[in-house]
Amino acid sequence: MNERTATSDTATAFFEQLAERGHEPLLGKAHGTVCVELMDGTSTETWLVTIDRGDLTVFQGTANADCTLRASRELFGQVVTGEVNAVAAVLRGAIGIEGDSELLVLFQRLFPGRSGAAATESDTGARGASR
Amino acid sequence: MSTGLVKILDGNTFVVSDASGDIDASRTDPTGLFSYDTRYLSKWVLTIDGQRLNSLSTDDLNYFEARFFLVRGTGTVYVDAKLSVIRQRAVGDGFHEELTLLNHDDQAVDLTVRFDAASDFADLFEVKDALEKKGTYSTSVERGELELGYERDTFARATRISSSVPAQVDGEGMTFKLRIEPHGEWTTDLDVVTAFVPASGMSRSRTRYARDGGSGRSNMESNLERWLETAPRIECSWEPLKPTYRRSLVDLAALRFSPPIAGGQSLPAAGLPWFMTMFGRDSILTSLQALPFKPELAATTIHALGTWQGTRVDDFRDEDPGRILHEARYGELPAFEERPHSPYFGSADATPLYVVLLDEYERWTGDTKLVREFEHEARAALNWIDQYADLMGNGYIWYQRRNEETGLENQCWKDSWDSISYRDGRIPSFPRATCEIQGYAYDAKVRGARLARLVWKDAALADRLEREAAELKRRFNRDFWVESDEYFALALDTEGKQVDALSSNIGHLLWSGIVDTSKAKAVVRHLMGPRLFSGWGVRTLAAGEGRYNPIGYHVGTVWPFDCSFIAWGLRRYGFKEEAARIAAGILDAAEFFDGRLPEAFGGYERSVTRYPVEYPTACSPQAWSTGAPLLLLRTMLGLEPIGDNLVVDPTLPAGLGYLELLDIPGRWGRIDAFGRERVEAEPPTGLRRQLGSTPAPRSSRQRARRRT
Repeated sequence: MNERTATSDTATAFFEQLAERGHEPLLGKAHGTVCVELMDGTSTETWLVTIDRGDLTVFQGTANADCTLRASRELFGQVVTGEVNAVAAVLRGAIGIEGDSELLVLFQRLFPGRSGAAATESDTGARGASR
Repeated sequence: MSTGLVKILDGNTFVVSDASGDIDASRTDPTGLFSYDTRYLSKWVLTIDGQRLNSLSTDDLNYFEARFFLVRGTGTVYVDAKLSVIRQRAVGDGFHEELTLLNHDDQAVDLTVRFDAASDFADLFEVKDALEKKGTYSTSVERGELELGYERDTFARATRISSSVPAQVDGEGMTFKLRIEPHGEWTTDLDVVTAFVPASGMSRSRTRYARDGGSGRSNMESNLERWLETAPRIECSWEPLKPTYRRSLVDLAALRFSPPIAGGQSLPAAGLPWFMTMFGRDSILTSLQALPFKPELAATTIHALGTWQGTRVDDFRDEDPGRILHEARYGELPAFEERPHSPYFGSADATPLYVVLLDEYERWTGDTKLVREFEHEARAALNWIDQYADLMGNGYIWYQRRNEETGLENQCWKDSWDSISYRDGRIPSFPRATCEIQGYAYDAKVRGARLARLVWKDAALADRLEREAAELKRRFNRDFWVESDEYFALALDTEGKQVDALSSNIGHLLWSGIVDTSKAKAVVRHLMGPRLFSGWGVRTLAAGEGRYNPIGYHVGTVWPFDCSFIAWGLRRYGFKEEAARIAAGILDAAEFFDGRLPEAFGGYERSVTRYPVEYPTACSPQAWSTGAPLLLLRTMLGLEPIGDNLVVDPTLPAGLGYLELLDIPGRWGRIDAFGRERVEAEPPTGLRRQLGSTPAPRSSRQRARRRT
C-alpha cells in the first residue's frame, strides 16, 4: 500500500515538475493538447498538457485535447520513473491511446529510460551510468 | 525463403500461402496471415467433400492480390476437370477472398465446401525462434461469423472471419453445403479481418477492427498506377533494363510502409516477409537510392525516424539521446519487454546516415522547410556522434551493445557474428569501430555544416563541424590505412590496432568522401581487382582472407545494394568507368532474377559459374536490393544536383547503347537525362551476351560508329 502511494505521488510530481519546467526543447515541434487520464478504482483524474512549440502549460480539468493517454495511476507512475516503457505498454493494451499519434510519440520523449536517466537537455545529456 | 510460396502484401500486412492458396503452418513455418508482426491466421485450408485441391496455376496479379486456379484430384496424373475452383485473394487490413466454383458437367453437383481456420497468434520473433506462447486462446461464433482470439494479461488480438453466403460456422471453420446446376457457378466472398483489442476498461470503443469487410482493392490498384505514372520513364537500347526498372518500382511500391505517425505517407520497409517495418539503416539507404525517382520516401523517412529519435539513456533498448532507431516492432514480445524493439536503437550507422539523408534530400528537392523542421533532431544526431558513440574517447564511432541478452552484437550493416575479422580470421572483441561508419560520420559533419550555414543560419556550428570533419579525415587516413597493401582496414580493435581484412567496406569510404585523394587510386585498384571484384560485383570480403567464403553471408557474397553505393563512391572520386563496370555486373545479374535482385548472391567468379548463384536464405524482395538498380541508373547517368540544376555526366557500360531517364523530379521541376555508351569493359567471358562485356545486338550503323 505504501508503495502504491509512492507511485501515485510520482504521477502527480511528474506533472508538477513539467509545469515548473515551462519549456521543453524536446517538444520544440509539438503543437497541441495532450490529455492524460489517470484511473484509480472508479475515479479518474485528468491532466492536460498544452504544448506550443515546446512551451508547456499544465492544468487539470476538461478541455478539448488532440490526443488522450489513458492508464491506471499506478502504471503511469511506473512510466514516469522509467520502470515501464510507455510504447510497450501501449502495444500490450495496458495504456490506451486515442487521437493524434504523432503528438503522443513526441510526448513520450518526456519519459525516462529503464536505466533511469531522465530526458533533459538532449544535446548535452550525460552518458549512461552503465558505461 | 521457400520456393513455391505465394506472398501478397500491403504495408506490413501480408499473406504467405502455398500454391493452392492454403495456409497450414507449423509453429516455425513462415506462412500465414501476418499483420503488425503477429500471425492472425496459421490455418486456412479449403476442402471440397473433405479433399484438398490441386493447383493448376497461380497468378500474381499484383503485389497485393493473387489468383489460384484449382481442381479436385489426388495429385496423380489424372485430374477431375469437371469442376474449376478459383480463389482470388487481395490483402489489405487482413484479406478478402472470392471463391468461385464452376461446374463444367451436364449434371448438377452437390458439394460440401469447407474452410478450416485457426490462429496461433505467434509473434514474428516466436516464429523465428520457436518460442512457446504464454496466453490463452478463445473462439466464438456469433451472427454467422467466427472470431478467433488470444489474450495475455492486457494484450489481446483477434481475427474475424465472415462470408457473404451464409455458412455453418463452428469453432474451427465454416462449411457451405451447395448445389451447382449443370454449367452453373457458385461464389462467395470471405473476409478475414485483424484486430487490436483495446485493454478492457481502457477504452470506450469496442474491439477495433482494421476495417469492416469490403475491400480497398480498387484504391490500391489506382494507387499503384499513380505510383508508376509519376516515376521517371526510362528509354534504352538494352531491353532487360526496362523490366528491371519496372520491377524495382513495383517492388518499392510493395515495400512501402506507413507508420501511424506519418499521416498516411510511406517509407521503405526492409523486406518481405520478416522485415516489413521501420528500420533506421534500411529505410535511410533505400530512400537515398530512390531519391531521383521517389523523393517523397526520403521525406517520410526523415519525418518518422526523426519523430522516433532517442531522447534518453535506456540500456535495454540501447537508446541514447539523438540516436536514430534500428528497428521497430509491434508484436507480443516487444509489448511485454521480452524483446527491446519498442523501438530498438542498436545501430551505429543510422544516426550519421540520418544527417546524410537530410542533406541529400535538400540538395535534390530544395525542401528547406523539412530541414528546418528537423533541425533539433539533426543537431541531436550530430551530437550523438561525439557525445555517445565515442565509447573509447578517441574520436571514432564505436559500438558495443548494452543489452547483452537480446540486443544486437554487430551494429553495422554487416551484422552477422563473423563479418568483422582480421586477415587471419580472428574476430576482434567489443567495442569495435568499423571503417565505413567513420566515413558516414565524416560525411554527416560535412553535410551538417552545409545545412547549418544554409538553413539553420548557424555559422559557428558549421565552422566547428567542418573543423571536426577535417580532423577526423586526417586521423582516419592515418589510423585505418594499411600501409603495406594500401587499403583501409575493416575496423579498429579496442587496442587501436587494425582489424586488417580487405573488404567491400572500403567502397563506402569513397562514397562518404573521407578518403584522401592520394589514396583513392589504390582503393579502386583493390575494389576492381580479382580478390574483391567477382565480375558481377564487389565481394563483401576479399578472396584469400581467412574467413572468405563465397556463400558466407557477409564474408564473400556480393550484395547488390553494397555495390550500388560503391559505384556512387567511384563516381565521387571520378572513376566513372569503374562505376559503369559495377553497374553492368549488377544489372546483368538482375536479368537472371527477372529484374528482382536478391539480397545477396554468391561471390563465385563470374567466368566460372556464368550465372549469379542466389544466397540460400536471402529474403526477397528486399528494399535496398530493390533500390540498387535505381542508384545504378543515377551513377551511370552521373546525375548530381548542383545548385538549382541537375548535372548529367553519363558513362554507360558497353552494350547499353543509349539510356534516357525522363521526367526526373527535383528542385528544377522535371528534367530529362540522356546518355550514350562510350566505355567498353572486359572481353566476353560467358556463353550469353553480357552487359558490360559483349556488345549487345545493334544496328550496323551503330557498330560502324563505334569503330570510328
